[in-house]
Amino acid sequence: MWLAVVQGCREHTTAAPLNLTYEVSPVPARVGDVTITIKLTDVSGKAVAGARVTLEGNMSHAGMAPVFAEAKEIGPGRYQSRITLTMAGDWYVIAHATLPDGRTLDQQFEIKEVAPA
Amino acid sequence: MFQVDLKSKPQPAFDLLRLPLIGSLLKQRHSRTLLQLPLFIVSAAMILHGLFGPQLAPRNLATTLTWVHFRGALILVLLLAGNFFCLACPFMLVRNFARKFARPTRNWPRYLRNKWLAIGLFVLMLFVYEWFDLWASPWWTAWLIVSYFAGALLIDSVFKHATFCKWVCPIGQFNFVASTISPLEVAVRDQDVCARCTTKDCIRGVREPAAPLVTIQRGCELALFQPRKVGNIDCTFCLDCVHACPHENVGIISRLPATELVNNSLRSGLGFLSKRKDLAALAIVFAFGALLNAFAMVSPVYVVEQWLAQRFRVTTEAPVLATVFGLFLVLEPLVLLGLAAWITKAWGGVKRSGLSLAVRYSYSLVPIGFGIWLAHYSFHFLTGLFTFIPVTQAAVAELGPPILGQPQWTFVGLPINVVHVFEAGCVVLGLLGSWLTSYLLAATDETPRPARAFIPWATVSLLIASAAFWVMSQPMEMRGLVLGSG
Repeated sequence: MWLAVVQGCREHTTAAPLNLTYEVSPVPARVGDVTITIKLTDVSGKAVAGARVTLEGNMSHAGMAPVFAEAKEIGPGRYQSRITLTMAGDWYVIAHATLPDGRTLDQQFEIKEVAPA
Repeated sequence: MFQVDLKSKPQPAFDLLRLPLIGSLLKQRHSRTLLQLPLFIVSAAMILHGLFGPQLAPRNLATTLTWVHFRGALILVLLLAGNFFCLACPFMLVRNFARKFARPTRNWPRYLRNKWLAIGLFVLMLFVYEWFDLWASPWWTAWLIVSYFAGALLIDSVFKHATFCKWVCPIGQFNFVASTISPLEVAVRDQDVCARCTTKDCIRGVREPAAPLVTIQRGCELALFQPRKVGNIDCTFCLDCVHACPHENVGIISRLPATELVNNSLRSGLGFLSKRKDLAALAIVFAFGALLNAFAMVSPVYVVEQWLAQRFRVTTEAPVLATVFGLFLVLEPLVLLGLAAWITKAWGGVKRSGLSLAVRYSYSLVPIGFGIWLAHYSFHFLTGLFTFIPVTQAAVAELGPPILGQPQWTFVGLPINVVHVFEAGCVVLGLLGSWLTSYLLAATDETPRPARAFIPWATVSLLIASAAFWVMSQPMEMRGLVLGSG
């Protein structure tokens, strides 16, 4: 299930806005490995291929270890990664994308109420 | 039978003020300001970053330093030394500066000269922490810090002496209770010197010889007269008495932690502990609040809150949270302490009222409460020990060139499994401390059968410790509560 559409580049944007949508599986997410699939498109809806996408997961509480993962492109504009959520609760994931033309995008989204394992 | 002489004071083994470097520094008249300034600067940075920086808690100085580092450092310093946070309190720096321009003229109302207001604020603080998910909100955390500065400034601008510290500040009350476990105490070095003293500067302050109404060095603003001061309760370690004493007869002296909880002699500025229902209530809130605050971090709390919300047919968190607080901070202590007091009377043969027994023995819960606070706060502190580094790097980088380098987000802290061992040790030591305190209370209060008076209160401590271990065994879950979702 595609959970959200996040539009626009918040930081380091040098060109037109991009759309970032994400999917988390399983739903609801549980402590352990979850799969996050990112879809990057430009404003016309065209897939943005060839980007480097990394993910960083943070708990809502300060001081908890963040988790990091690199996403692989599994299709044009589709990037997938497994990330290990180490604790139950609310997680905030920051997707960092570096496009082939050098533009970068940092976008944050939430995985709410991650259940205990 | 095991005899404890709590009145005689052995020759102090250690006096911090006699140490070459630290002692010399602390004895300087402006040492407090020197310690307050860095904390004031850090507080200002936390407020600014909380209000204007990134609103992701792990990336913000307000939330990271407040909920990970400040709380952990505070409780560890209390365990290892004493109430040094109050000494370096930045709120008092602002208040002292304001008092250079306008001196307060009013006295704190007599009916408020107790801990009831402060207990209410302490509970409110715990409540607001859960209600607004303060751990996850840099913005609200920043406003909390601002409200402390504003509260201290406002109250101490109107009322004389250290009104905010003694009667209002929730952090101060926490520190006062927790510092009963500390190994250091601001105390008189030689009582004979005090007996010969005619000026009593430690309480009156040092006056200008030519103008006796002008104070050039404050005496104790918390009304603790050194020769009759017992223990750390109400002592902010401000060292005014140290600076005021013309005989250099006040030190920061080592003592046996927690024994002051048993001491029922008349205390300057406090009276008898056994007659202070408000202090006993503070000790109870301290102990059961520790459990509540830890319980609110683990998964079962959400099940309980969802269940309560369904029973009450509400979709807002406040009434549900209020019920949980009522259960933990009112009903549970009432039942446990009421039962323990009744058994002590009926089985132990103690001829005192149940309320009087509950007040006296409530102080025995302080060590286990301290153990749980220590376990909880040091968990966050140790597992997130180095997180201030990347957060500071990022905060500096937001302002301009990254002169501290790129944020190293992989800097975290100690592994959780290592910290869990430390946590368990904290709770066990707290339980042992509570058992020892209960036994000393039973043994020193002319109880007919000390063991029978000890067992009910030891059982209360054991139940609290068991609950703490249960909480520690539960999966942690840190999130806001969404009611009506299942």
